[in-house]
Amino acid sequence: METSQKRKSRQIILLIILFISIILVSLYSISVGSINISISDILKIISGQEVANNTYGPIILNIRLPRVLATIMGGACLAVSGLLLQIFFRNPIVEPYILGISSGASLFVGLVLLGGYTFGFSTITPMGLFVGSFAGAMAVMIAVVIAAKKVKSITTLLIIGMMAGFICNAITGILTAFADKEQLHSFVMWSMGSFSGFSWTQVQFLYIVGVPIIILAYVLSKPLNAMLFGENYAISMGLSMKTFRMVVILIASILTATITAFAGPISFVGLAVPHIVRITFGTSDNRILIPGVILAGALMTGVCDLCARMLMAPIELPLGVITALIGAPIVVYLLLRKTKGNEL
Amino acid sequence: MSQIITSKNLDVGYERKVVVEQVNISAGKGELICLLGPNGSGKTTILRTLTGLQPPVNGVVEINGVDISKIKKADLAKKMAIVLTEQVSLGLLTVFEIAAMGRYPHTNIMGKLSKTDEIIVEEALQLVGALHLKNRYYFELSDGEKQKVMIARALVQEPELIVLDEPTSHLDVKHKVEVISILRKLCLEKGISVILSLHDIDIAIKGCQKILLIEDGKVKAQGTPEEIIEEGTIQKLYNIEGAKYNELLGSLEFSSPVFPEVFITGGNGTGTGVYRAVSRAGYGMYCGVLHSNDIDLHVAKALSCDVIEERSFSQISLAQHEVAAAKMAKVHYVIDTGFPVGKNNQSNVDLIIEAVKMGKTVFSLTEQNDMDNRYGEWANSIHCCKNPAEILGFIPRKINRESYI
Repeated sequence: METSQKRKSRQIILLIILFISIILVSLYSISVGSINISISDILKIISGQEVANNTYGPIILNIRLPRVLATIMGGACLAVSGLLLQIFFRNPIVEPYILGISSGASLFVGLVLLGGYTFGFSTITPMGLFVGSFAGAMAVMIAVVIAAKKVKSITTLLIIGMMAGFICNAITGILTAFADKEQLHSFVMWSMGSFSGFSWTQVQFLYIVGVPIIILAYVLSKPLNAMLFGENYAISMGLSMKTFRMVVILIASILTATITAFAGPISFVGLAVPHIVRITFGTSDNRILIPGVILAGALMTGVCDLCARMLMAPIELPLGVITALIGAPIVVYLLLRKTKGNEL
Repeated sequence: MSQIITSKNLDVGYERKVVVEQVNISAGKGELICLLGPNGSGKTTILRTLTGLQPPVNGVVEINGVDISKIKKADLAKKMAIVLTEQVSLGLLTVFEIAAMGRYPHTNIMGKLSKTDEIIVEEALQLVGALHLKNRYYFELSDGEKQKVMIARALVQEPELIVLDEPTSHLDVKHKVEVISILRKLCLEKGISVILSLHDIDIAIKGCQKILLIEDGKVKAQGTPEEIIEEGTIQKLYNIEGAKYNELLGSLEFSSPVFPEVFITGGNGTGTGVYRAVSRAGYGMYCGVLHSNDIDLHVAKALSCDVIEERSFSQISLAQHEVAAAKMAKVHYVIDTGFPVGKNNQSNVDLIIEAVKMGKTVFSLTEQNDMDNRYGEWANSIHCCKNPAEILGFIPRKINRESYI
């Protein structure tokens, strides 16, 4: 039996390890690629100094750095929205992708991407993508929430989410049939999930939306903890269910929408990360879980993105492929060695 | 006395469908009130309505005179706490963290515990006897421990009223008793009112100050256990078949509806175990002669035995002796339970001797070295046994002689 002080210091050490790992992985990720750049050069470039080879500057500042920053924020958002949904639905195996929320977002992004050109827009703004993605995420989320109120079974809810996803994917499929070849390629690549080609505008947008929402999620720790006891207990302890429900739906939809809009649907980060953090941190207390999940989500996505770039270099794999390959076995493993404790 | 919670002409149910009508509950400070009724009688629905988890179909629930639907949830949480039957997946929270959640309505937006909060949590855990578990994970606890922790959590809310839905189901006897003792302590020492639903008739009658009997969508009766529990009340309430509930003993006995084949004496509690053993083996029996104030008599009656009864504190009359002898004559087996003999029941010893004379197979649970003293020259004709099981070993198996079904 661990005392609470001991447990707490272990958790803080874990958070620090995660933070340092993110920095190391990010630096490594920036340094490797078609051209390898030394860490000292990277630090110089970021701090604004001159380096010997003047092609390094643009590579780092325009390509690799925005990408790394995007993976960090993207991973954090995905993991936090996964955690929120798991608590909200009191179901250990939900996440945006499984519930079809990502698919809803994809559908609307598809509408914007493929339809946008058809309707004569020459460029698609980040805002346009986000609004589309958000509308789709919200629509599916609300549908699933309504369904969840009617059915109590965990499995049924999953199936409803999956079906919602199928429907969205089917409609997306119809859209792609009408799209011309060029748009199609970029849309297909996007739909497999990737952080490549992030522009600074997109990164800015990601942080402007993501940071406040993640902070808001952290502020919700206390009601989220109460929700672990179930709706009835939560109400009896003074939680106003209506407001809470609305806020959680909004947060989860916005987080999913932001990522999906720019990086495409990315599976399993939202599912695997909260589980891993719960077990390694040994707690369900969201005041500790949320920071843990933010960092671990960022780290996992960072590592996956690195793998996506490096494994088959110079060919880059879609990120969604890697997260699925790493995430799915982890989830199966967790479910199999299920101590009673890793439910939520 | 001012009432903490009152319900007036309350109809509870879902949508427009009334499950239980006209519920009028009121609980004063420190009262322990119990809803008793069969499964599906609507106990949970009443409790859910009383706690504001679902709206009443008709009528109002008031806490300290204020309509519960007009109280903000956060304020209500400081007056009332609940303990439900539903399973919670709190796997990786520690006992302390779970109990501390009870501070929810009292702490700031991040739920930070002050020193006072921590003391309140520890005191609550102490009171339910779970302080030693405080660093344990919830999933490591037994059902009984979990229930105690959930009660501690309710207590930490510092409510005036705690409502519990079947807090003792799934628990073993030790934990049942512990949970009810804790609740009684809350009422008596802390002045907290408690409303709960129970399955255990026994615990309800012995542990609660007020009982509401819920049956067929109505509150059948309410009052102190002594007021409302009469002979047959429980039997009817639960529609028990194949067993008899004895209100005086507060216990359930499985009736043996079969024809009497054994005659058994008794007295001073020596019969109770024997009657049950013989009944379990599937035999009907005559029991006598027993005094009205003897526990053996009540058990024998609850077992649906044919009982020959004598008035308390009087010598067994010749008339009753004859009745017993006549009944004894109809059976093959006679058992002496080894009852203590005095002036009032000497006649039962004579009865055993008569049985020997009639040629019956007679067993006695009297100590071997008392046999001569008790039966004199007849002692050798009586099988002296150590326990009912040994006796049953001599009697041919019931199951071979009668075809079941």
